[in-house]
Amino acid sequence: MTNYEFLFNGDVVASSVEKDGESLKVRLGEKEFEFHSAGNNLFSATINGARHQVAVVKHKGVYYIDIDSVLLEVQEASEVGFSGGAGDRGGEKDKVFAPMPGKIVKIMVEVGDEVEEKQPMVIVEAMKMENQVNSCAKGKVKAINFAPGDQVGTESPIIELELPVEETSR
Amino acid sequence: MWTSAAHMNVTANTMEKLFNKILVANRSEIAIRVMNACRTLGIPSVAVYSDADKNSKHRFYADEAIHIGPSPPRESYLHIDKIINAAKQTGCDAIHPGYGFLAENPAFAERCRQEKITFIGPSPEAIRLLGNKIESRVKMSGVDVPIIPGMKSSASDMATFEQAAEEAGYPVLIKAAGGGGGKGMRVVNSLDELAPAVEAARREAKNAFDDDTVYLEKYIVNPRHIEFQILADHHGNTTHVFERECSIQRRHQKIIEESPSVAINDELRARMGADAVKVARAANYTNAGTVEFLFDESGYYYFLEVNTRLQVEHPVSELVTGVDLVVEQIRIAAGLPLSDQFKNLTQRGHAIECRIYAEDGENNFFPSSGTIVHYSEPVGPGIRVDSGIQAGMEIGIDYDPIMAKLIVHAPTRELAIAKMIHALNEYKILGVKTSKKFMIDILRHSDFAAGKTYTSFIENNMSDRQLDIDSYKEIAVAAATVVSLSATVPTVKGMKGTTSLSPWEVIGSWQIGDSIHD
Repeated sequence: MTNYEFLFNGDVVASSVEKDGESLKVRLGEKEFEFHSAGNNLFSATINGARHQVAVVKHKGVYYIDIDSVLLEVQEASEVGFSGGAGDRGGEKDKVFAPMPGKIVKIMVEVGDEVEEKQPMVIVEAMKMENQVNSCAKGKVKAINFAPGDQVGTESPIIELELPVEETSR
Repeated sequence: MWTSAAHMNVTANTMEKLFNKILVANRSEIAIRVMNACRTLGIPSVAVYSDADKNSKHRFYADEAIHIGPSPPRESYLHIDKIINAAKQTGCDAIHPGYGFLAENPAFAERCRQEKITFIGPSPEAIRLLGNKIESRVKMSGVDVPIIPGMKSSASDMATFEQAAEEAGYPVLIKAAGGGGGKGMRVVNSLDELAPAVEAARREAKNAFDDDTVYLEKYIVNPRHIEFQILADHHGNTTHVFERECSIQRRHQKIIEESPSVAINDELRARMGADAVKVARAANYTNAGTVEFLFDESGYYYFLEVNTRLQVEHPVSELVTGVDLVVEQIRIAAGLPLSDQFKNLTQRGHAIECRIYAEDGENNFFPSSGTIVHYSEPVGPGIRVDSGIQAGMEIGIDYDPIMAKLIVHAPTRELAIAKMIHALNEYKILGVKTSKKFMIDILRHSDFAAGKTYTSFIENNMSDRQLDIDSYKEIAVAAATVVSLSATVPTVKGMKGTTSLSPWEVIGSWQIGDSIHD
């Protein structure tokens, strides 16, 4: 029996696994899943009595998974860190990030503006398409770190917000 | 074995070589698609590639490859001098432009003509006429093909737009005169939205097509998008190769296409097909093209535009008719007349295509970039994959995010839908996001099954859709656990099974080209 801890969608999840003949039995709390390797990163998994083809690869600390075309990412609990993503990054509701690297076309707010959740904040152009990035929370614009025309990555916030007190202390 | 060798010689000799060598002025899946047609015809192909594509599949798929410069399209795939020089340097006597990039650039077709290199596509004159959406509207209304009400010329002042919108009645659509692919396009519901929409459309059009001319037409609410494939040779023969319905779109870009359309009967099909041929003749069109129509709820159709190139979704036509459209393009360009197969062409069964974009179907279709860490294709009768990617490739943000197309063929629409769902599930691409699950949910929707496919389908049926990621928590963690265990078990050389560590990780700080390193 080998024990592991992973991070999935903000939750830490513990699991254990053991070999049982040709199959691998994974246990999460009360639930048990049976896997067989089909080679080439593919596994047959028994889920609720039915067989599913699951593809999974670990790359740079992230497990990339395809289960019935649902694409999922799991991180080892020890390797947690932000790895890109859209405007909303769970804990960082007070920052607006680009969803992918691109060029800032337009910034629709100014420092000091009161903004609502889901209010359009920035337009970022990538792959010839304009993408609108909305605020993840209600708040006041504290800082704008880029200007139209700037190239932006996904790591530095374009806009920073000051959240109402009850939001930040959550 | 001299007899079989002799036999092969006879075959090779009887198959007339149409060109000495063809340069494919494109990248990714469409470049590979064209190279396959060249191979079928026994013609060597030449790839061109930019810095971003130095590890791309198409580079190594061609018989030869020429580096044409930095990643930005303007400095490589859109750079006419570099493409022409690559063709001359490798002794190519023809260029296939694929779709996008230079495919609908009349200056490029013109330049090919001057250089005595055959452009595998229509004449620069036809591209110029039809590439301008405004001019082609005027032309086709002149030959009694129905067009959408709206502006017949562009304007620089907002007052003209406001007046045209008033006359057509809201909602209206702002479109780029030189546009396509949903770029430079905006729906406007009221006067206060008009000015910002025109401004945004101009900006996008300028960036995408280097032409900020936009115009306005009535927005046909809830139409179907039905298009006819046409082929025309240099001997006066013009034919249509039936229709494709491409109503399932997000951000005005098609993601699922099918043939035949469930919306038209044989009588309407014949009428629209005849109008498509009329459009082609009015433009003195040659080679392959697509006449697009909007089909409204009352059963009226309107000419939308002609795409003067091979379409992304051409494979659905190929699967229902058995015609290899790229082979036909090459034959036509070489001066051959349309073959006899077009005299009695029929549609057989049903075909569906799903476009596989590097985009997050669970998050507004935001472009997704990364390394392809796993790639495996579905196989089986009636399953076709046109792919430009392979494991280890970097998917960047320099180009259109289409990675591949999955196309299925079955005797009925119902069976084609079921086959597509299965094939999507078996198509495993890891490392970047795709919209596979989103498309499966469309295919499973009762309105899709009922053929209620309108361009507003996604907006009307899918906006409330929310994938419950947390319901996959346990199985996802279980899958990660299995790989963690496999990775800690020492692998014996030749042992069956896999560590499921991506080779791109195992290789570590080795370099494959320059693009993958820790």
